[in-house]
Amino acid sequence: MLSRIRSRAQATALCTGLLLAATGCKDFLKEDNRSTLTQSNYFANATQAQSAVDGLYNRLRIMNTDVGYGESIWVGVELMALHATTLGQSFNNNQIINQSIDPANPYFSNMWNNAYNGIGAANLVIARVPDVSMDETQKKALLGQAYFIRAFLYYHLVRLYGDVPLITNPVDGTSPDLYPTRAPQADVYNLIIADLQAAEQAGLPAVDRSGRISQSAAKALLSSVYLTSAGYPLQIKANYQKAADKAAELIDANQYPLFTNYASLHNTADKNQGELILQAQFAFGIATNAISPLVIPYFVGISKYNDEFGAVVPTPGFYATHEQGDLRAQEQQFYFSKYPSIRDPSKTVNFGTQALYKYFHVESALGNGVSDENWTLLRMPEVMLIYAEAINEVSGPNTKAYTQINAIRSRAKLPALSGLSKDAFRTAVWKERYHELAYENKAYFDIQRTRQTYDVAGNRFVNVVGFKGEVGPAFQEKYLLWGIPSAEINNNKQLTQNPGW
Amino acid sequence: MATSLSIKNLRGLPLLLLVPATVLPLSQATAHGTIAGVRYRVAVTVQGVVTDERGTPLPGATIVLKGNTSVGVSSDADGKFSLSVPTGNETLVISSIGYVSQELNLAGRTTLNIRLVADNKALDEVVVVGYGTQKRSDVTGAIGSVKAAELVERPVVNVAQGLQGKVAGVDVSLNSGQPGSAPVIRVRGYSSINAGNTPLYVVDGVFWEQGITTLNPNDIESLEVLKDASATAIYGARGSSGVIIITTKRGRRGSQVSYDNYVSVSKIARKLDVLNARDFLALEDLGYQNVQKFDPSGWAAGKYAARDPRLKRQALANPNDPKRLFDASLNPLYDVDWQDATTQTGVAQSHNLAFSGGSDQTTFGLFLNYTNAQGIIRETYQKRYSGRLTVDNQVKDWLKVGATLNYSSIEDKIGNNFVGGNNIPRMMIEMIPIVPIQYPNGVYGKRQDYPDMEGGDNPVAITREDINLTRNQVFAANIYANITFSPNLSFRSVFGANISSQLNPTASSNLIQLRGGTQNLAGFTAYDGRSLQWQNYLTYNKVFAQDHALNVVAGIDAQRFQALQDYTETRGLSDNSYSYYNLGAGATPQVPTSNFDANQFFSIFGRANYTYKDRYILTGTIRSDGSSRFGTDYQRGVFPSGAVAWRMSQEPFLAGNSTISDMKLRFGYGQTGNSNFANYQSQARLGTNSYIINGVRVGGTTLNTLGNPELRWERASQYDLGYNLGLWQNRVTFEADLYTRTTSDLLLARPVPRTSGYGSIFSNVGSVRNQGPELSLNTVNIQGKDFTWSTNFNISFLKNRVLALGPAGDDIYPGPNFLNETNVLRIGQPVGSLFGVVREGTWGTAEADQALRYNRLPGDLKFKDQNNDGQINDLDRVIIGKAIPTGFGTLSNTFRYKGFDLLFDVQFTYGNDVMNLTHHSALDRTDQANSYSRAYTDAWTPTNQNTMIAQVRPSYVYYDSRIDSYKVEDGSFIRGRNAVLGYNFSNGVIERLKLTRLRVYVSAQNFFLITKYKGYDPETSTYGNAFAQGIQFFDYPKARVFTAGLNVTL
Repeated sequence: MLSRIRSRAQATALCTGLLLAATGCKDFLKEDNRSTLTQSNYFANATQAQSAVDGLYNRLRIMNTDVGYGESIWVGVELMALHATTLGQSFNNNQIINQSIDPANPYFSNMWNNAYNGIGAANLVIARVPDVSMDETQKKALLGQAYFIRAFLYYHLVRLYGDVPLITNPVDGTSPDLYPTRAPQADVYNLIIADLQAAEQAGLPAVDRSGRISQSAAKALLSSVYLTSAGYPLQIKANYQKAADKAAELIDANQYPLFTNYASLHNTADKNQGELILQAQFAFGIATNAISPLVIPYFVGISKYNDEFGAVVPTPGFYATHEQGDLRAQEQQFYFSKYPSIRDPSKTVNFGTQALYKYFHVESALGNGVSDENWTLLRMPEVMLIYAEAINEVSGPNTKAYTQINAIRSRAKLPALSGLSKDAFRTAVWKERYHELAYENKAYFDIQRTRQTYDVAGNRFVNVVGFKGEVGPAFQEKYLLWGIPSAEINNNKQLTQNPGW
Repeated sequence: MATSLSIKNLRGLPLLLLVPATVLPLSQATAHGTIAGVRYRVAVTVQGVVTDERGTPLPGATIVLKGNTSVGVSSDADGKFSLSVPTGNETLVISSIGYVSQELNLAGRTTLNIRLVADNKALDEVVVVGYGTQKRSDVTGAIGSVKAAELVERPVVNVAQGLQGKVAGVDVSLNSGQPGSAPVIRVRGYSSINAGNTPLYVVDGVFWEQGITTLNPNDIESLEVLKDASATAIYGARGSSGVIIITTKRGRRGSQVSYDNYVSVSKIARKLDVLNARDFLALEDLGYQNVQKFDPSGWAAGKYAARDPRLKRQALANPNDPKRLFDASLNPLYDVDWQDATTQTGVAQSHNLAFSGGSDQTTFGLFLNYTNAQGIIRETYQKRYSGRLTVDNQVKDWLKVGATLNYSSIEDKIGNNFVGGNNIPRMMIEMIPIVPIQYPNGVYGKRQDYPDMEGGDNPVAITREDINLTRNQVFAANIYANITFSPNLSFRSVFGANISSQLNPTASSNLIQLRGGTQNLAGFTAYDGRSLQWQNYLTYNKVFAQDHALNVVAGIDAQRFQALQDYTETRGLSDNSYSYYNLGAGATPQVPTSNFDANQFFSIFGRANYTYKDRYILTGTIRSDGSSRFGTDYQRGVFPSGAVAWRMSQEPFLAGNSTISDMKLRFGYGQTGNSNFANYQSQARLGTNSYIINGVRVGGTTLNTLGNPELRWERASQYDLGYNLGLWQNRVTFEADLYTRTTSDLLLARPVPRTSGYGSIFSNVGSVRNQGPELSLNTVNIQGKDFTWSTNFNISFLKNRVLALGPAGDDIYPGPNFLNETNVLRIGQPVGSLFGVVREGTWGTAEADQALRYNRLPGDLKFKDQNNDGQINDLDRVIIGKAIPTGFGTLSNTFRYKGFDLLFDVQFTYGNDVMNLTHHSALDRTDQANSYSRAYTDAWTPTNQNTMIAQVRPSYVYYDSRIDSYKVEDGSFIRGRNAVLGYNFSNGVIERLKLTRLRVYVSAQNFFLITKYKGYDPETSTYGNAFAQGIQFFDYPKARVFTAGLNVTL
């Protein structure tokens, strides 16, 4: 009996020992990760390269990033231009208008964080896709899209924050790039231009109506970059000619005809069509975009949206600057001041102010209550006005420049311009930019590059610093740039803050 | 052999020592007692009944012959026994767990009535430690115990409620009044920052991954909390936040049926003071008048003309309008108290039925439970069905096997499944009083029926029309085998499987406004989690040369956990009635998601406990853990501990001392690890996203985590100095512990500059220290024949400091983020210090010039400009509060008079602050939702300038709302947690009813609350973040509960 127990003891001890050896080995502790892929095992084939590039596209929606209730990046950028007020309850929006926002605000950090996240992903594509064994033409096209998106993001960063860290390689936990310093803006512009030239030459189709980046988009963005770098702070005057040249290539190709009806700018049917060169894409059930609820005055009850934020409401002063007869200022063109009540369509809701019909998405407002309109990044009238402005700086207004501005005016039922001096032509183009591209996130960038703002009362352009517009106090110089997000400075002592922030 | 120990084994405590059956004194003696193969000549049969002091029969008491423990028996379910003894003049030893053993000289008597006296703190009590048990007197670590009777002495829906206040150093926060809501349990503070601070739960030896709320409190035999490193080190890396070991009830010999039930009613304990219809409208009128002050140019330009409240009200006064809100003189037609409308008297009932039985060789237990607890918010509830079957079989004298099968089905309907937004607790404060629950035509009243109001739903409509269910089924099984090689050496193998299957159906109807249009939606989250564990260990137990006792445990433990989760949703249901039963009826299916998670542990452990002359005790523990979560080269960690104890009361100079019955000094040091964080953090993982090309969804790949292949264990070093004192036969016991726990190599999602493309990297940086004394004192103040009064008091002090953070020591904001960061980790400060600007009050008319510097007017909020730069911004933020308490504890008194018992239990916490974020929407901004009354009554006016509340204005002109010191309230409190009055029926009554026990009781829980805090209850949090205790944004209110219950044993 005892010996039986003893032998059993030995057997058990042996089993235990075996178990130790068998289960103790490394294999048992290997991580079993099935839901995600890792950087080390990715970029093995063309499909993965394509997917990594497709993963960059959602950064084109960066201006539509939700910051808070009634707050979206594009709203903040628009309020910075000081021709809009806000009727909602957003604390940050009011602080922007009152110029009392601090650099810890979520606008500055959201923009910064999302842009660099996209740049990081683009850097990974740019570093790894060249080594993927795949069709070289496709590879070049994929890289071209990655270059475009990296340039697009840096272009926003350099304008909003000035000198910014210039990260061009993937970063890991041990990279020196983990704690970068700010690079001079000239270096950033050089990268942007090089990237856009690479995109332009990547063999992308000249025109793309699917939502993808086309060669024309690269040219259009490049013309904008040249125009901006010719202004403040770099003032590379030679770039006016380059801006005009790039814009002219698009004008001459004549592939983006102007819409005949302004409703096409915010219709579902006309997404990516006509004059639209590049849009950030949204679609019901896949990605929603709150532009339309954001522009409806605060809870007036004209739509099926859960919220009507009144986040961006044009100032009456700005609206009044439209020339007599300007079609764009007519009811339900770019603006509207009343609409049938959603509860009782026989009743009309009067807003008591002008709101942006330009962004009112009728299909969803009256339909399913889920806004999914595209956000326009580049459209032909901007390219036409870039040409007009740039060539005017090089050599004064030429016929082609008049053709551009007058095409836009003629669509607005305004008389053609002619015989203007260089200065008068410049002012005319600037006003046209304000009116045609109103609330499309161009005005604040124009203020930055020109250091001028639109004095709507005097219908003229004046130095922006110290000027008191329709809303808020006199423009503080520090508002020419955004503050570096305070969390970022807290995490990276190499960074300096922008003046005044 | 120690007979009492073997009986304890049969009661189901995991066996440390397996006593060979050859010496087990089992079964009723028969005429020819051949018990254990030893034959006696039978001379006398003794019969008797064992009862407690009150005469209640004690089943399972042991009756053995003194000097020959192989002759013995245990009492049956009626406390009765029958034993054959050689002569009838022997001495019997009668013992039972929790009672003082008694010796009784038979002196020829053959019928006995034995009353055992409860042992106030039995030193022979067995304490469950990891992978075995120890006698309380041999314990060197800091271990707190809670027995079954204490856990369920008041009606509790979950175990955490029963544990609250029972053990010094264990802070149990029940943050929500929601039945079944998960508690936050912290053992000795916060040792970690990003790795978890939740203690490890071990049920019947097996790690319990499903959370403590899935257990039925009635199933628990005992619960031990291992607090210091010398106790937890046997669990190595799993034990750094403390270990809670739960031993469940098992079958006993004989046959017994018991039934316990209770019925309770609960009501909202405290309501918040919000505006009624008249004041709501008065505030609106006043705000509108003030617009001209805050925006004179806009006012002059007529910007606000259309917002005149009189116009709005006139438009809603048409008698033919079914949604009419005002009468002809513009008085409101409705005045709804939404807190009353949304809450209810919640009725709860619980039934527990237990069967237990068996023979010498086989015992079984069957434990059934049904609990249905309604919440105090309408339509919320928790329903639980559970069943547990235990079987233990002594197969051979050297082999015992057993199994436990546990199944529970728990369904919760909850009202606050997300923070803020359109949830019920928020809407019952913010819904405006002038709108009815339903109009005469049945349509739900909506907040936006009154123009200018922010979107937000009628809370009664949400309770009726939104469905949010959590259905959790837990199947837990474990099987064990004990092999006894010799009286000194045994082997135990335990295999456990826990399967948690969860399905959370949701459906939202479009009868409520925010889901209007075609946005009514339905969906499921499904979760399938499996945890498998296999442990094998040897136990060696020997006494050498009488004075040297050695106990050694060594073994291995392997564990694998995996979970699969998926989410499906569809929107635009063609009809609300489909609810979640036909997702195909939805117009727009959403993109489904799924996720897989797995990890493995492999550990080798050993513990030696050496006792010399019962005076000097030495314990050493070592565990080597391997975890899949770390970088390949850093997977293994070794965690040692050692402790000594000196039982001074056993020294000759104290032996026989009539005052000091127990005195022990303990000191321990140990290291534990922590790997309790998300899987895969050492890998540079890629994420997925989507875009739209040609109007069609296209999937993409993008960055996700910044991998850290050098990730390694977080390590906590803990010293514990403990002292136990028992006086007058332990009528007074006192226990004190002083500890310091320093965690280093903190696993931290360290923020990295966002220029990297990432937000953070998991790394080992930083250090945090917790220190504190813990004291507990138990006294029997009066012990008479009919009346006893005993008092238990415990208090714990906690001092927590962050010692180091990240490479540069920068502040870290662990969240939650609400308007701004709410709390900060800062070197030298407690973890999760509340953070924001300081509100000094409001600008007075005399300060108009100073206010102008900040672009503010008299009547606006005044914040402290810390750096005096003329602006109030993030640079003016300072630490404005401390969310973790300085001290907390419990005072409970128990009185017994004859059959009556009365328990009175008071809980207290002090030194903690609560960040009441509800101020943001119910106080700072007004006029788009309902507000707290003080937004109107205490607001700044030219005649009430000394106030913390801004002048009334509609929120469409500017207002200030910041994370500031006024939102931080003192969270100290004293709570009447529990009062129970019970009655045990006397033997006579019980016998007539053929019962063995009958008790009835009534109780009141949360019967008073003393606090300066203005919200529902300062024991609160609405966020899941690690340091979010005390940070709340519209919590589920707490209940006051009255209960009547019944305990019957057949």
